[in-house]
Amino acid sequence: MFPRILWKLLGASRGRLTVALIALTSGAAICSALLNVNLDAERKLTQEFRTLGANVIVAPPAAGGDAALVDSGVADRIEGLHIAEIAGAAPYLYVAANSGSQPVILAGTWFDQVATMNSWWKVEGRWVSSRGDHEHCLVGFNAARLLGLAPGSSLQLRSADRHLALTVAGIVTTGGAEDNQILTNLDSAQSLAGLAGRVSLIQVSVAGTASQIESVTRKLAEALPGLDVRPVRQIAAAQGTILERIRGLIFWTVALILVLSMLAVLASMAALAMERRKDVGLMKALGGTVPRIMRLFLAEAGLLGAAGGLLGFLIGALLARWTGERIFGVVISARFEVLPLTIALTIGVALAGAFPLRLLGRVRPADILRGE
Amino acid sequence: MASLVQVEQLDKRFGDVRALDRVSFEVDAGEWIAIMGPSGSGKTTLINILGGLDHPTSGRVVVDGLAIGSLGERELTRYRADKIGFVFQQFHLVPYLTAVENVMLAQYFHSITDEKEAAEALARVGLSDRLGHVPAELSGGEQQRVAIARALINNPKVILADEPTGNLDEANEAVVLKLLRDLHDAGHTILVVTHSQAIGNLADRRIELEHGRLARISSPSLAKAKE
Repeated sequence: MFPRILWKLLGASRGRLTVALIALTSGAAICSALLNVNLDAERKLTQEFRTLGANVIVAPPAAGGDAALVDSGVADRIEGLHIAEIAGAAPYLYVAANSGSQPVILAGTWFDQVATMNSWWKVEGRWVSSRGDHEHCLVGFNAARLLGLAPGSSLQLRSADRHLALTVAGIVTTGGAEDNQILTNLDSAQSLAGLAGRVSLIQVSVAGTASQIESVTRKLAEALPGLDVRPVRQIAAAQGTILERIRGLIFWTVALILVLSMLAVLASMAALAMERRKDVGLMKALGGTVPRIMRLFLAEAGLLGAAGGLLGFLIGALLARWTGERIFGVVISARFEVLPLTIALTIGVALAGAFPLRLLGRVRPADILRGE
Repeated sequence: MASLVQVEQLDKRFGDVRALDRVSFEVDAGEWIAIMGPSGSGKTTLINILGGLDHPTSGRVVVDGLAIGSLGERELTRYRADKIGFVFQQFHLVPYLTAVENVMLAQYFHSITDEKEAAEALARVGLSDRLGHVPAELSGGEQQRVAIARALINNPKVILADEPTGNLDEANEAVVLKLLRDLHDAGHTILVVTHSQAIGNLADRRIELEHGRLARISSPSLAKAKE
């Protein structure tokens, strides 16, 4: 009889229950979308951070003195390790040079790797994308202003009695130290400095979470004994902080949406409670105990919550996919661990919103049967 | 042998209003009692207290050996389910349940439901062809017959009817009266609140209230016998 009455109850109050179901489904959809995004945020953010350049540095030991340079073969060895998480590795040799009387820092590197690791750099003119390009250079925004350079300009550099002639391919804006540097082919920089086969450091870009970065750092340290391999702490810390903030934002947004859904359900249920006073009075007169009658209403709210949670999860999965494409530029797939959580939260909201129905337990049958 | 219903010095006050004033009477098992009196004389208050829907202010009410004045809410609910069958003037059927489901609702709150038994109860009141109809699809007389079937389904000790024909036309009133008479003949104890002299004349005894007081107890059947 219980399911039979429950079914009739649902059918009898279709209008009000539909309003409550819409509120629950809307809340559940947004919660489900946000929870899906939250679970994917770490992965997406890691991908985003990977585009922010190197997060691991391989450098000579701190106490290395004048000989504190690394053999450029180390960069090849890193490439040869074939560690899946390594998205790119670029050796850098920093050379103090002069353009006319103006001192400048020349950074020799592998342009192909720099392009991969720093795709977000803004370039006026064009990139130099070939590792073997000995003729062109990229000039940092500040350095270009100082030297009056533009794409296509010629540049003469001198270090001791060695000279290097380059053509400016593009002006780069990085927001970092590169804005003050001139970037060119590694071999050219080594020739100018007279340091063939030597580099100052190697920047490595590792894709993954903070723990994956730590793991790759350990592998590199084992493979490159005698060198200082360390993660760039600021980036790892920034990643952690941003993730924490995103999670906090999602948590509070979910909480707010659940409260708003609960208020909407509460309004529907309050109206429903008024409609059901007579039924409850009659049920009590017929010998229905309060817990037995309330079980009916709570089961009804629970069912409503479960239906709202399930519908909300499906809509939320689509919403998460759309959000992922619009914001992250990637597809966020539905995570099925979100389903029980969404349903549980929505049932909780529905039961909390059914509070006015619980007040019906106080109805006095004599008052109702008198028509009060 | 003790009476089925014993009412002793029953008082009920609503604030300053004294709805029942030291009312005492007894009802034996199988009796048909008509409770009569003008509006506001305390008839419905009396039947609500007998039915465990209201508490007396003072006095003692014993039904089938149970002193109901001292029962808590939970025990009163059980008392209503076990011992009382209600029939109301307004029928009070659940509008979204069918006739058979309305009868089964009383079974559900009493113990377990039995659809066949509920259908048989409806057949006894002449509604075997109306089992699947909701109240809105039934006439007033049919709705009251559903209410009578519901009142009888758990074999209650006492049937309490508050103006059972008050909302019915003559034809339906006659049908309901016949049903009450049949129930009486079958040995049921019936207390009916009524303004109707016709029902009053059918009862074994009439309890008349005025301003909450017991004005008189008469026996129409004895009077008829004397005539």
